[in-house]
Amino acid sequence: MLELIDIKLERENRKVLKGISAKFEDRKIYAILGNNGVGKSTLAYIIMGLESYRDHEGEIIFDGKKINEKSVSERAKLGITLVWQEPARFEGLTVKEYLTLGSKKRFSEMELLEALRIVGLSGDYLYRFADNSLSGGERKRIELASILLLNPKFVVLDEPDSGIDIISTNMIEEVLRKLKNAGATLLVITHREEIAKMADEAYLMCDGEFLESGTVDKIIEFYKSHCDNCNHINKPEEGELSVRNKVR
Amino acid sequence: MLETRYDKEFEALAKYYEKSGGDVSKLLDKRVVSIIVSGNQIIGRNTVPGVKIESEEIENGVKIYLEIEDNVSIENPIHLCTGYLKPEGVQVVLIDTKIGKNSKAEFLSHCVFPRGKKFTHRMISNIEIGENSSLSYEDVHFHSEDGGVTVEAIYNARLSKNAKYDNTFHLTKTRVGKLKVNMNVDLGEYASAYIESKVYEKKDDVVEIIETLNLNGQHSSGIAKTVVFSTDESSAKIINKAYGNAPYSKGHIECNEIVKGENVRVGTIPELYVKDEKAELTHEASIGRINSKQLETLMAKGLGEEEATELIIRGMLK
Repeated sequence: MLELIDIKLERENRKVLKGISAKFEDRKIYAILGNNGVGKSTLAYIIMGLESYRDHEGEIIFDGKKINEKSVSERAKLGITLVWQEPARFEGLTVKEYLTLGSKKRFSEMELLEALRIVGLSGDYLYRFADNSLSGGERKRIELASILLLNPKFVVLDEPDSGIDIISTNMIEEVLRKLKNAGATLLVITHREEIAKMADEAYLMCDGEFLESGTVDKIIEFYKSHCDNCNHINKPEEGELSVRNKVR
Repeated sequence: MLETRYDKEFEALAKYYEKSGGDVSKLLDKRVVSIIVSGNQIIGRNTVPGVKIESEEIENGVKIYLEIEDNVSIENPIHLCTGYLKPEGVQVVLIDTKIGKNSKAEFLSHCVFPRGKKFTHRMISNIEIGENSSLSYEDVHFHSEDGGVTVEAIYNARLSKNAKYDNTFHLTKTRVGKLKVNMNVDLGEYASAYIESKVYEKKDDVVEIIETLNLNGQHSSGIAKTVVFSTDESSAKIINKAYGNAPYSKGHIECNEIVKGENVRVGTIPELYVKDEKAELTHEASIGRINSKQLETLMAKGLGEEEATELIIRGMLK
């Protein structure tokens, strides 16, 4: 469904992405793990086609067609969407208005309430504004509810658990499950093991590259043994380099 | 109430009053304090117990004196409709408002100048708010699409101890023409104020806004905020000022100017002055394109760039 071919990006003479290639198949969940600053969010923005990331090299193929030249809106219309790590806030826009944006379907109040229920929010939120009056966690939950209603084909979720209390992991799992059951492919960037474990396949990212891929258990094990105590972000030491060479 | 000889004039005014967001039925409701001004005439007026209204016609306009007695809480918002239906001319509106102690009132003011081609509206509103009283004043303008309307609006408010004042000026539905807004608030002990101007300018519209908070009383606090969306060849100059003149006074000024168009000319000047070392003043200002994260968040849901821009702007100016 979505394929990345040799994606590279440079910023200020620094190679942020060094040639990412991967194939994401229909109705599967993929997890990307990796320390801060290794290029995970950058990859998410490139897939979504954000304006300041359009100067990358390599190809993005969606449903058999190259989409490099397509704008964010055009990609969204094809069914690709993104859940930001810290979603934007909007003055004067109610949660009800926000939830229904971009969907061709006219939602009943019941459907909106059900989406809010899944993310652990009461119906009162429909009439609140999606602005600074919401906490980071509340805003994130509303973002997840909006994605449920949007019914996309391919969703990149950049740390869906960030800003949300640890006891709400079940809620995020339910959202991912529902999206998958509705036919979506999910690419989940996460640091939380429970969330990653929902994936069918996982990637470990380091220094702008996929260092390893495979089953979630294998990647988590690899991450724990090599990255948990890593204090040289984006500069793999000899040990990691030799591991990487082994993977290749 | 409405004077019958002005029925037709009122009918014409009412059409635009509704377009500006006003509720005409309130202007005719005996339970609602209302003043209807057309040109230099008061064509309708109503009051309720506890509210005294006096008015006189002056050259090119009207002078209104409105007083709310002590310990009076006005249940329904006071409706003020000011209109001018001719394309050319000058209208002067002078309003003196005095709120007694422990009282509460809300004003909804709509100014409609739908046919203005060479028209100037000058308004000076002097407001005094007594101890423990509160006043909320919402002023919405509706101008012609010709760009030939000039508005000069001055609001001077003086707040006694523990008084509260909110004043918002909105001109977002039509072209602006030329606009000068000057909001000036003097705050006594424990008084608080929120003043805000929101304007959407197009073509060669010109906007100048000055908002000033004089935090004279200890523990007084205020926020002065301006949001301007400038497009085409329009220009805007915004000055937000705060004076921290008393201990523990707190003030915040904020200006957000969003621009769209290569020939837009906008500027903002924040001014903070502290006379007392225990005063605390802050400011925030931004000028530029629409926030790209907001834009791309909406676009990632399938909205086109224009549609997303409009939605963000409308929300900000709401």
